[in-house]
Parts: sequence; C-alpha cells; structure tokens
Amino acid sequence: MSAAQITVPEFLANVPYRIWLALGVLLFGLLLAYLTGVINRRLLRRAGVPEVIEGTAFERTAREFDTSTVRILARLSSYFILAVTVIVALTVADVNYLEQFWSGVAAFLPRLFVAVVVFIVGIVVGDKAELLVAERLRGIKLPELGVLPTLVKYSVVYVAALIALGQVGVQTLALIVLLAAYAFALVLFAALATKDLVASAAAGVFLLLRQPYGIGDEVRVAGERGIVQEVDLFVTHIETDGEEHVVPNHAVFREGIVLIRG
Amino acid sequence: MASLTDHLTDLVADVDAALLFSPTSSFYERFADDEVEVVVVAPDNDVDAETFVELPLPFDNVKDRIRFGIEGAIDEDLLAEGDEVACVASVFDGGSDALVRVTVDEGIHTGIFDLFANSRAEPSVIRDVFEVAIELGKKGQKGKPVGALFVVGDAGKVMNKSRPLSYNPFEKSHVHVGDPIVNVMLKEFSRLDGAFVVSDSGKIVSAYRYLEPAAEGVDIPKGLGARHMSGAAITRDTNSTAIVLSESDGLVRAFKAGELVLEIDPEEY
Repeated sequence: MSAAQITVPEFLANVPYRIWLALGVLLFGLLLAYLTGVINRRLLRRAGVPEVIEGTAFERTAREFDTSTVRILARLSSYFILAVTVIVALTVADVNYLEQFWSGVAAFLPRLFVAVVVFIVGIVVGDKAELLVAERLRGIKLPELGVLPTLVKYSVVYVAALIALGQVGVQTLALIVLLAAYAFALVLFAALATKDLVASAAAGVFLLLRQPYGIGDEVRVAGERGIVQEVDLFVTHIETDGEEHVVPNHAVFREGIVLIRG
Repeated sequence: MASLTDHLTDLVADVDAALLFSPTSSFYERFADDEVEVVVVAPDNDVDAETFVELPLPFDNVKDRIRFGIEGAIDEDLLAEGDEVACVASVFDGGSDALVRVTVDEGIHTGIFDLFANSRAEPSVIRDVFEVAIELGKKGQKGKPVGALFVVGDAGKVMNKSRPLSYNPFEKSHVHVGDPIVNVMLKEFSRLDGAFVVSDSGKIVSAYRYLEPAAEGVDIPKGLGARHMSGAAITRDTNSTAIVLSESDGLVRAFKAGELVLEIDPEEY
C-alpha cells in the first residue's frame, strides 16, 4: 500500500507540464462551451426567435424529438467550441500522431459549423416564409395558388443549401447556374405580368400627388365620360348613369384627361 | 337546480339553428358533430367555420349583435322566417355566458346588416365612420355635446349634390377614416360646420359641405332637426349612407335610402 501512495504523487510529478495545460484548456473549453450554449439559448429566446418560428415544419419536427430549434442551435455552438477546444488541447499536449489530419480538421471545422447553421437558418426561414405566404393567400380561395408557398419555401432552402455547400467547399457552379436561370425566369415573368400594374402605379402616384381631377369632378378619360368616384394608386372609378367604369391609370395618362366644367 | 336545467332544456328544444357569437375554436369544435345547424358570427372567421357571418362592429348591445347575426344569416339563406334560433353569446367580458332563444320574424329586421353588407361603401369604412362618430359623441367639445354629419359612399354624386360652405380643409389630402390621425383630428372635426363626405374606399373627400338634396317626402321621426333631415334626404338621392351624430340627444343614427336604420347611444360603447 505504501508503495502505491508514494507512486501516485511521483506519477503526478512526472506528468509533463503540457498535459496539465492541455487539461486546463479542456476544462476551460468545457465551461466555455456550456456557457455559450446557455447564453445563446437565452439570447435567442430574448430575441423572440421561438415565437417567430413557431409552427414552422422544422420547429415541429424538433418538437417531436423533444427539443427545439433554439436548443439545437445553442447545442451546435457548444459542440463547435468543444471541438475546437479538443483540438487546441491536443495541440498543446503535443500529441504528434496524425498531426496532418488534425490541422485539416481544425481548418474545416468552422466552415462546417457555419454551413450547418446556415442550412438550419435557411430551412427555418423557408418554413416561415411558406407560412407567411400561405397565410396571406388564405383569404383568396384559389387552389392554383397552393403551389406558391411551397415554391417560396424551396427557393429559400435552395439558396441556403447553396451557401452551405459553398462553405464546405463542394463544387456548386452547376447549381448556381440553375439558380441564375430560375431567378432570370422569375424576374422576366414578373416584369411581363406586372408591366401594366407598374405603369398604372407610376401614373397613379402623379394623379394622387397633383390631383388634376378629384372626386366629384366630371371628366372624360380614356373615352369614358362621367363623374369621378374614386382615385387610387392603380385605377380611377368613373360613373355615369348606372355604369361605373374602372379605368387603369396608365390609360388615363396615355390618352389624356378632359375636365368638363359647367 | 332541476328546474333551472329544465328551463335550459326548454330553451334549446327543437331549435333550427345555433348562432355562436365569437366562439373559441375548442368551443366551436364541440358543436362539430351536433345535428343542429351552426352559424358562427364573429369579427373574423378564426375557427374556419363553413357558415360564417362577419361582425363589423363589436356591438356591445347584445340585442344589436344578435339582430345583426340573424339578419346576416337570413341574407345568406341560412335562416328563414319562423325559424327558432338559439344564440350563444358573451354578455360580460370573457367566454360565452349567455343563451338566448329568438324567433326569426319581421320584427327583428332592422336593416342593420343591410347597412354594413349592402352599402356602396366597404363595411370596414362604415364601421370606421361609426367609430369616429361614436368617439365624437363621447368626447364632445369641452364637455359640450356636438353634432356631426358624415355622408359615406357615392362621393362623386354627393359632391355634385352639395356645395362648399368654405375652403375644403381636405383638399389634396389623402386622409382615410381608418387612419390613426383621424382620432387626433377629432377635436378639430367638431368645429367644422356642414357635412363630411367620405368616399367608398374611406377617403375623406371634403368637409364643410352644404348638402342640397331634394327633401320632399323624406320621412324621418319627428323631433329630428335639419342635420338629420338633410342626411336622410341625401341618402335617398344618392347611393350613400348618412351617419349622423345628434347635437341635442347625443345619439348616432344611420340613414339609408332616406330611412333610419340604426340608432346607437355612444355612451354604451
């Protein structure tokens, strides 16, 4: 027994200084990881993240596994710090084997972390966007519009996935080309579809600011003569006996306005 | 207790429909597999009910609320004359605490639903004007009662059947009745003479309007003054709705097609 009692302090004394340092770093890292996790969770809660993302598919899946998005994100940051700590500790302890491997991991780890966070945020934002759009469209009972929320969701997720893949160094050129083609088509269609609306709105701004005619005036615009009932951003309502003409503002602007006095 | 329960059973015996006023979704779901027809009357269709009547004003007066719900249901062919209806509503703040049995007949028809749903102006605009008039009736000016006349909808025609008493303070402005600024301007409103003209979409077109409708044969209750008379007359000449705050008795009245359709005491709101 006495031999063992002597050997323990001796053994401790023989442990190199580096190992102590490494252990210290490891302990400090553990503490830091725990604190970061707690602080992150609190910060996200305080920022109202749980309320904002409530009801999204990702959050619901997380709930099924008895956790939550906030907790997952907080855990993720903890693990990241823990992993970095382990690498630092190994370096400090001067564990030489597989040095090449560890240095590669050390460089790769932050990028992986960012990629995972970007991907999770992308999924949650995509879910949220889908919910918002669906809610907006709920008043309009048109089944064809049902694909719109899904489209919005997958667009957001696609972009997030692109960024995440870019972070971890996967070749994404083909995917980016695809995205560009998609965005171009979207812009083109939007421009074609809303050409008249945009023109009307531009004319409407002028009509509302300068008011060449107001409600109650008798006018002739775009071939229709009558009393102005309403002017808004896009259209002008003109009424004659029992007939109400809704004239788009760009037509008013293009064809001129005749004010009838008397 | 037995007699109370018996009375309740009598109340709901062979009703044709149940009107639920602003039910919570869990409360509504309890009616889901009931064989009685259920109509939800609420400001918004939160419970995704199939048969739904929109309530544009909260109607603190339960009688008005029930009338509105029943008229709305009749209008949508959910109810017919002679039907027996059980209404579940909230009288005090909180959950559904009252059960009222009503027989649908001619007497219940006051046009209150018609006023909101079938007016030319949007229901929300009429509601906003009501709220402004009620607020004005409550506040008055320096404690003294004030009167006001709002003509809502068909503004183009109303403008052509009236003339300005003074410069229009709303010229080239874009103030709508629902805007928060209107509440701030209320005090100023009460000083303006003449009528306010509000368009279908709620834009305040003009103040200081002197209405010049043909007033022959307009039949309004005796005792109402010139403001009510011109308000009622303009609604007969045009497709507008007139909402009048009386200076003498402080009531808010609504006229449509030359007839009085609704009377509200601002103090009750």
